[in-house]
Amino acid sequence: MSTPSEAPRLRRAAAVVGIGHSDWVRDWSRARAGEKPADSYGYGMQAFSAALKDSGLRREDVDGLIAGPTTAYERLGEVLGINPRWGDQADAVLSVVQACSAIESGLADVVAIVYGNDQRTAGTQYGGPQAMGGDAFLSYVYHAPWGLTSQGALYALTFQAYKNARGMTEAELGEVAVAQRGWSSMNPNAIMRKRITVEDYMASRYVCEPLHLFDYCLINDGGVAMIIAEAEYAKRICETPVFIQGIGRSDLNRGATSLEPRLTDFYLPAQQQAAARSYAMAGFGPEDIDVLQVYDSFSVHVPLALEGYGYCAVGDAGKFLRERGIGPGGKLPTNTGGGHLSETYMQGWAHQIECVRQLRGTCGERQVPDCRHVHYTSDVAGKAVSLIYSR
Amino acid sequence: MDTSLPAKPRPHINAISRGFWENCRRGILSVQRCDDCGHQHYPGAPVCPSCLSSRQSWAPISGRGTLVSWVRFHRAYWDSFRADVPYAVCLVKLDEGPLMLSNFAGDAPAEPTIGALLEVVFEKVDSDLTLPKFRVRD
Ligand SMILES: [Zn+2]
Repeated sequence: MSTPSEAPRLRRAAAVVGIGHSDWVRDWSRARAGEKPADSYGYGMQAFSAALKDSGLRREDVDGLIAGPTTAYERLGEVLGINPRWGDQADAVLSVVQACSAIESGLADVVAIVYGNDQRTAGTQYGGPQAMGGDAFLSYVYHAPWGLTSQGALYALTFQAYKNARGMTEAELGEVAVAQRGWSSMNPNAIMRKRITVEDYMASRYVCEPLHLFDYCLINDGGVAMIIAEAEYAKRICETPVFIQGIGRSDLNRGATSLEPRLTDFYLPAQQQAAARSYAMAGFGPEDIDVLQVYDSFSVHVPLALEGYGYCAVGDAGKFLRERGIGPGGKLPTNTGGGHLSETYMQGWAHQIECVRQLRGTCGERQVPDCRHVHYTSDVAGKAVSLIYSR
Repeated sequence: MDTSLPAKPRPHINAISRGFWENCRRGILSVQRCDDCGHQHYPGAPVCPSCLSSRQSWAPISGRGTLVSWVRFHRAYWDSFRADVPYAVCLVKLDEGPLMLSNFAGDAPAEPTIGALLEVVFEKVDSDLTLPKFRVRD
């Protein structure tokens, strides 16, 4: 790649040394039985304990803490009993980036990033009158008088325009949900494990047409945590450290409320910029990636990512999904845990630990052989972020 | 008004958006136009996104545009839309440039064509609120 590396100091500056998560399969059953297994802090605590145990470190070794967006930072630190020398609050992918930045700049050596969310049992709404209190900026709240009342509708609008512009079909989009069920059927940590076919997908009901039920993420409770440490220290304490190799970001904020970035270029310019930056920093490109993980609140994210991050030509995502494939046996294993659609909706956090597991080689039946580089991408609320993990 | 029906969500009318909604009540579609650089945008904002000037006006526009996208809700997220499902929502690219989200006036076309030419129609909700909607034009 000829693009100059924009953050070379962060390349392999830090590594993941511990991962953990709550038992969302068990808690899914318990929530459906009317129980409330834990609150967001409880799930965060369960995940943190598991990650700390996995790392072999003591709690006293943790000197940085990043709280996910669904818990108050101070309260989370209180529950975990951590008084760090550096702290922050961020979403999944930016927690990883912030941890690397803090470590490289010497503000912390061992950072715990912790997420807990009781969205299922708390009845968190991603549509309707109680939608996340965001009436000042959320476009689906601004547009509620016309009946645009859900997060999913934004992606339905995107896919309608996209399939017209690119000639993609609903059945081709269905390949995403089918492939991810193929993966989740081999994942004991996945909530939805029954395989489906494109015929099942096409026969499923519309929620917001043209999107079907299977295009939507689950809503479940759970927690995820990772321990990220300075690279040399990581090599000493961990047999299989997973390094953060490439980072890229590009944002499209202008025109967001009227959906311009989504509906005119489908985030493509931002994805291409983020991709170029992360590949330049990593020192390789999409042809070297063994596993792709895509933030998939809706299946629509996946074809956009395939084009935007250079896995196929612009306009070829439908054909790629149908002919080359992203499921088990496919050309590009994608969302190998099942993703938000089938494993668990942890707002990108569970994707991070799946990246680490594939690189550690601990994924069992769904393990991708000789996995060296895993790429995580998200394009949420205007920001395209590209993160590459390597052994 | 029949108070037995749950109310549909209403726009949040504030100092910035008031001009837009007052124009709608008078049957005029408008976008925010910068008094300094002429940039046109929607929805309203405290300053012009192009030059950051705070001198802006709601300027009448043609009311014409083309269909960029549409969806059909098969689930109601507000009780007040329950009687309407399935109902369509459309996104219009105004001839003046900005995108505007709306509905089809009256019955939506069974299979709306992206790129179809549209024009604004005003639907009075009550004495305070009129919603701009769009119909296909020849
Ligand atoms: Zn201006």
